[in-house]
Amino acid sequence: MSDQNSNNKGGVMGIFLEESQILNAANKTREKGFVDFDAITPYPVHGMEEAVGIKRSWLPWVTFFAGAAGCSAGLWFTWWTSAVSWPINVGGKPMWSLPAFVPIIFELTILFAALATVKTMILANGLPKIDPPVVDLDLTSHKFGLFVSEKDKNYSSSELVSWMKEMGAVEVHEVSEY
Amino acid sequence: MNKEIVLKEPHAFEFSNKSKVTCLVMFLIGVFGFIASLFGDAQRAWQAYLMAFFLVTSISLSSLFFLSLQHLTSAQWSVNIRRLFEALAAFIPYSILFMGILIIGAPEIYKWLDPNLVANDALIAHKAPYLNMTFFIIRSLVFFLGWFFFYKKLTDGSLKQDQTGEDSLIKSLVPYSVFFIMFFALSYSFLSVDLVMSLEPHWFSTIFGIYTFSGSMQAMFAATVLLMLYICKKGWYNGMVTIDHLHDVGKFLFGFTIFWAYIAYSQYMLIWYANIPEETIFFYHRSEGAWAVVSMSLLVFKFIVPFLLLLPRWAKRTPKYIAAVSILIIFTQVLDLFWLIYPNFDEHHVHFAIPEITALIGFFGIYVFSVFSFLSKHSLIPLKDPRIKNSASHEVVY
Repeated sequence: MSDQNSNNKGGVMGIFLEESQILNAANKTREKGFVDFDAITPYPVHGMEEAVGIKRSWLPWVTFFAGAAGCSAGLWFTWWTSAVSWPINVGGKPMWSLPAFVPIIFELTILFAALATVKTMILANGLPKIDPPVVDLDLTSHKFGLFVSEKDKNYSSSELVSWMKEMGAVEVHEVSEY
Repeated sequence: MNKEIVLKEPHAFEFSNKSKVTCLVMFLIGVFGFIASLFGDAQRAWQAYLMAFFLVTSISLSSLFFLSLQHLTSAQWSVNIRRLFEALAAFIPYSILFMGILIIGAPEIYKWLDPNLVANDALIAHKAPYLNMTFFIIRSLVFFLGWFFFYKKLTDGSLKQDQTGEDSLIKSLVPYSVFFIMFFALSYSFLSVDLVMSLEPHWFSTIFGIYTFSGSMQAMFAATVLLMLYICKKGWYNGMVTIDHLHDVGKFLFGFTIFWAYIAYSQYMLIWYANIPEETIFFYHRSEGAWAVVSMSLLVFKFIVPFLLLLPRWAKRTPKYIAAVSILIIFTQVLDLFWLIYPNFDEHHVHFAIPEITALIGFFGIYVFSVFSFLSKHSLIPLKDPRIKNSASHEVVY
């Protein structure tokens, strides 16, 4: 929020008190044609992904390819260290004995996949930036918020305020640029 | 839960006369095939019998294990598919009879029952206090009657609740589940040692029981997927079991695919590393000629291929696709048991022909008969369980 170069625009946030209301509101907002909006709930709400229109994340692909890269790296590294750079005879077994290296290859697969996934996740969602802004601290305990961003092409703050009220919001906040 | 669920009574499971006749014919093919091969090559007939018997018994026991795990954790998602696990275990009463038949044929395949060999082989003689006919029969009796007892207790409580609707009936199954899991862990390990590992009495592997368990769990989830999709296709569930249940069973299938590979590798790596002749002989017999091909295809088709096929989320939510993977997994489980049993008798040749196929068909027939007749006698979901609504609205979040 303190980022001065932030291009985050403001928007309108409606506060709801019931889980069913926020789910209903999110569904209606999506059906009305809004795209740039989000729901803030204190806990995961079943069916919210569909209601807000969140698509499947592309993050698993990062995990898969990073894992594949880790696997190849482990394969290459065990081969290079034990068969090329510094061959050591262990119990008369072949220099490059795959069964002995599977744990290393496996661990590198997991390491690459896990680190790349976490790093990409942080980069992709722009942490530690918080989007949308913290309007009400109660959103972390018992209230539900629906935030429509100014960036949405259908945005009109006065219309949205009455629209939120109509859907049962107990409070509606207009948030300026943050 | 936000999804509004209308509770609908599922259709009854119809075990048509046509299917009954099919099962009977398959069973008779098995019986005739077995008798015919007894007159040809008796040893091979009993090997085939052991393979098919061990396959279906393991799947039944794994299913009972998973059922008791559901009771133990008071799982809600699985309530509506609980009857599937009860049904897949319905072969247990029949298995007592088939174990009795196997004991008759035991001298044909178990070297440690040959008195001449025991007298001349110090290692087998040393193991004689455990590996002898009397103790073998006692163990089998204890195990199979114990399993029958727990099967009866675990299913009877659940079926009685269908009539009375008492919630306490399900809670009373928790102690039985606890003791079954403890009993199962030991008894199934010993059964694997007795029936499969002792075929090569010199060889031993302390992880063997987990190895057979991991493979049969994998096959059991594959069987669950197929049975579930069969009922769904007929439309008998009436929406009480959804794609989300399939997704979760699919995750278990995927998980145990990895678990099998983990255990198989653990067994192989330690034996390979230590390089002690008594232990390596097992893999030596399976690493040359045609058996090397079988060994490699186990690695490829029981782990790598199903692993990659089941990896995406959509894979577990596409009925036809996951059914195909399940069939592959059941075939590889047969291959796994074939790989465990047959090289003990002939490490140079791979013969998979009439005796094996008829034995598998026969046991498949009687197994499907036991499962279907159980399902046709009872409601497809535990209708009076208070948790069925939560189970019906089960949702896999992404």
